[in-house]
Amino acid sequence: MLGNDIVDLDLAKIQSNWRRKNYLDKIFTSKEQSLIASANKPDEMVWRLWSMKESAYKIHNRKTGIRDFAPKRLSCTVYVDDYGEVDINGYIYFTRSNVQASFIHTIAAPVYDNLEKIKVAIYELPDHPVDYKRTNPGCVSHHGQYLALVY
Amino acid sequence: MNKEEIIEALKTIIEPYSEDAAALAQIDENTDFIKDLKINSANLVDIVLDVEEKFNIEIDNDSMAKMLTVKATAEIIAQKSKANAG
Repeated sequence: MLGNDIVDLDLAKIQSNWRRKNYLDKIFTSKEQSLIASANKPDEMVWRLWSMKESAYKIHNRKTGIRDFAPKRLSCTVYVDDYGEVDINGYIYFTRSNVQASFIHTIAAPVYDNLEKIKVAIYELPDHPVDYKRTNPGCVSHHGQYLALVY
Repeated sequence: MNKEEIIEALKTIIEPYSEDAAALAQIDENTDFIKDLKINSANLVDIVLDVEEKFNIEIDNDSMAKMLTVKATAEIIAQKSKANAG
């Protein structure tokens, strides 16, 4: 199983004010909050962690059938070179994030070695293929200008 | 506040986070924030914070986990408001 999540950073800027009182505390563990507080680019860290959680949740949700909104129970660890892992109740999902100026895209897999095998396609409006579902992507993520597919 | 009043107040909170006017017009108890209203999951946090402010309640993580539909959210609001009053 594969997961992926894309964040359009320009849209995130207007759609979400993470500096709002109590916002970070609702979704990030204390460890994640210190990563954000000490980051050179806090916006980037917020959305990187968020896309890690979302991409891992998408696998976990399909695997367990559990649907809930408990972002704080998804605990992220960030490693060098954009790698990371997300712990959801003891299930570990490995992630790799692609951080660009205008978007952040994270892929997730339950087995570390599978990360290297994932094929990624990212499309920007207006160039979204209309028939992408026929290509049977393993996971689909939309946000703002972007459509991200993984195989 | 009775259930209908809670749902009305909730509609006002939800509106700014959905661009799907048709789905907003048809909000009822069974409406799902993500599936029906296409609300971005990062904005669910804003809804939780707005609910806390509007109803003067505190929503713990276990309650927040259930807040994916109008029905579940209205139930949590009713339950927490009652606890406050008591």
